[in-house]
Amino acid sequence: MSAAPTPLLEAVGITQRFGDLVANDDVDLDVRAGEVHALLGENGAGKSTLMKVLYGVNHPQAGEVRVEGRAIPLGSPSASRAAGIGMVFQDLRLVPAFTVEENIALALGQRPRSGDLAARIGSQAERHGLRVDPGRTVRDLSLAERQQVEILRVLLLDARVVILDEPTSALAPQEVDALLEVVDALRTEGLGIVIITHKLRETRAVADRATVLRGGRVVLGGVDPTGLSDDELVAAMVGEVPPPLPVDRPPARVDDALVVNGVSVAGSDGRVAVRDATFEVRAGELVGVAGVSGNGQLELLEAVLGQRPLLAGEIHIGDEDLPRAQPRAALAAGAFAVPEDPVADAVVPGLDVLEHLVLSGEPLPGRGLGVDWRAARGRVEGRPEPGLLHLAPLERPVATLSGGNVQRVVLTRMFLVDHPRLLVVAYPSRGLDVASVRATQQLLLDRRAEGAGILMVSEDLDELMALADRIVVLHDGEVAGVVDPATHDRQAIGRLMLQGAAA
Amino acid sequence: MTTTPTPSADVEPAREPASAPSDGADHPAEPSEGRPGLAGRLAAVPAPVRSVARWILVLGGAVGVFALFLLAKGADPAEVAEAMWRSAFGDERTTGETLMRAAPLLLAALAVAVPARAGLFNIGGEGQLVMGAVGAVGMGYAVGTALPTAPTLVLMALAGAAGGMAWAAIPVLLKLWTATSEAIVSLLLNYVAAIVVAWLVFEPWRDPRSTGQAYSTELEGPQRLPILWGDRVNAGILVAAVAAPVVWWAFTRTRWGFRLRVQGGNGEAARRAGFAVKRLAFSAYAVGGALAGLGGMVAVAGVEGRLRPDLLVGVGYTAFLASWLGRHHPLKVALAALALAAILVGGTGLKIAAGLSGGAVNVLMALVLLAVLGWGRRKEA
Repeated sequence: MSAAPTPLLEAVGITQRFGDLVANDDVDLDVRAGEVHALLGENGAGKSTLMKVLYGVNHPQAGEVRVEGRAIPLGSPSASRAAGIGMVFQDLRLVPAFTVEENIALALGQRPRSGDLAARIGSQAERHGLRVDPGRTVRDLSLAERQQVEILRVLLLDARVVILDEPTSALAPQEVDALLEVVDALRTEGLGIVIITHKLRETRAVADRATVLRGGRVVLGGVDPTGLSDDELVAAMVGEVPPPLPVDRPPARVDDALVVNGVSVAGSDGRVAVRDATFEVRAGELVGVAGVSGNGQLELLEAVLGQRPLLAGEIHIGDEDLPRAQPRAALAAGAFAVPEDPVADAVVPGLDVLEHLVLSGEPLPGRGLGVDWRAARGRVEGRPEPGLLHLAPLERPVATLSGGNVQRVVLTRMFLVDHPRLLVVAYPSRGLDVASVRATQQLLLDRRAEGAGILMVSEDLDELMALADRIVVLHDGEVAGVVDPATHDRQAIGRLMLQGAAA
Repeated sequence: MTTTPTPSADVEPAREPASAPSDGADHPAEPSEGRPGLAGRLAAVPAPVRSVARWILVLGGAVGVFALFLLAKGADPAEVAEAMWRSAFGDERTTGETLMRAAPLLLAALAVAVPARAGLFNIGGEGQLVMGAVGAVGMGYAVGTALPTAPTLVLMALAGAAGGMAWAAIPVLLKLWTATSEAIVSLLLNYVAAIVVAWLVFEPWRDPRSTGQAYSTELEGPQRLPILWGDRVNAGILVAAVAAPVVWWAFTRTRWGFRLRVQGGNGEAARRAGFAVKRLAFSAYAVGGALAGLGGMVAVAGVEGRLRPDLLVGVGYTAFLASWLGRHHPLKVALAALALAAILVGGTGLKIAAGLSGGAVNVLMALVLLAVLGWGRRKEA
């Protein structure tokens, strides 16, 4: 890649403190035109803080941000935008009820349907290989599609530096590939791209250089990732290499934890999202659900949890028939879950971590008419899971936590349930750092060994292949196959995901 | 998720967030976006101080504008303020008057605050008050004067609460069964309640002695709340004074209150936690209706003594204002209700001192409402 003499974007000596906590300590970062710079690090390493400094959301106590050598005002998103810095946030910020065109018009400060906006959207999208239909309503788009809209929006705002905050954390392998192609196209256009990620595979696939943050400091600054091994990169991020997962696992038992029999489920848009799905999860078995996002996996999970009515078929949890779509019935039958979207489905504004932990679906600990908070606290403090998962302090309001730390709350909550019959887990490692992902996987395997059935959806096929006894592959709402990861490779599963049973 | 805006029901005793996580893996406390500059510096001021300062600013602004209004009308604001204060809290009698105005107002305001905690809007306080009065009067007529005071009043209070609860059940059940807006239905039922009362006082319960202005037969003896002092100040104010702390206790110290808070904060989280969300919504609304109904009983068994077509008109709406003014926190709502009652009673002083219509206090109330809503907006943004 051509290295311009002056970097397109430069952050020098950034120090950002929040109270006593130093989130960024004298951090440098530079991005050249036509390069992809990966920013690696654990949760809390200060990546998001640094990006918010660049985007003008945070006002650092020290340091300077320069665009093409000229310092820009700090702490002003509009100044950052005007200087050509664009940000695609992890939690996408589109108006669901609006069309793509209306959302973009909103960002540009234009009236919708005015002039040639649709044409501009079309031509920009084509130029960068983005698949965006301006007339569609954002609510109906998959996460991957929404992300493309966000990227397009940033481009239409004439960004020259595009910051992507963990863009692949909820995408299927093929969607990740598509996104990386877009990133590559943007690089060819001469833009500078900063991509925040945990994943070495992606770093290797697109990044020209990488910077690793740990504890708010730069551990590796602007290095060529091809010169380092995976172990070296992981060691830079977490300080130590996590132990590998155990390979030997006790065999599953004969009794079923979950039976899904001929189940069809309607999606939110009214069409049939899951069609005639049949499979079972035995006690002490971990079954993965794979599929390109939007192929029915979330609807399937919601049906299992009694959150979505069945059009046909039946679901049994243990011995109990799930009579109708009622989360309480699924919980009573012993099915506990990590929701697919914890921020939307689990976070209650104003409540702290402890108050969220009692919302696992087990009865509230009671004393008289009240909640027995002392018992709740004692239960949490007596268990290893909060420490293993680096749970935030119990007094912290959950709404102020980052996505990864919210994920730790919902994971801890599920793992605190005693003797669950079935765990239903959506994207367990979403937003987590390498060490916490490993801890989560180990805890899942522990529950499996204790006899819980586990049904798990993950965007990370490697994770599914490492953990699952069997993988249910969904394609267009149908079970394309139930495969043994020991005998099927990534490509074979990918073909099922993309082409269905015909593959 | 529905798109209904959620009334904030922030009533837990504030737990101070830990300023910094200790385990290193935790993400730094992220300040809410885009508050550099002045707002950022303000963030350094302790939260309680900031909140009190904001209150003073907000209410001071409303009072200031009202002062300008008075000046424009040729009245001296200081004189008016003094006269209003004298009318509201000048002596034992006026203070009692204010407290009695506040009692049904507070009960109806709690009827807004309890559903608000579960994320529901109750604009039907007016109707629930009136139906509570109807229930109480009906029970009074049924029991007659045969029983002693205490059982008579307890029965009337229960009937009043039942009347308010029944009236509140309509909007919430319609919401749960047919997904209609509880805000609109409860609001419209206020007009229906007024018609019911009008029919009752013109037809079955009409006092034969009433000529021009129709009203019902007067409650008497054991059907009336005992007088505490003076010739009018009755035990109704005790009912209200007890209700606010009881609601506060239920909010902060019971599983029910905790569940309501979860449901009001994130209905999906409540559902996924296995809460009986429909039952919870119903219970919040029904308890609210019962409180308003009690307010109606207090009014009718206290000063009023009988049903009139214009009984309690406007109290439900003022109560709505009080609940928002107190941000649905029962104890703050009590303060707000008292303040609004004082403004209403102080209207007499306004008339005397400035020669203005007593209705001019509505200008002050409207200003307070606008200021508070504007403040709420800013807080949520």
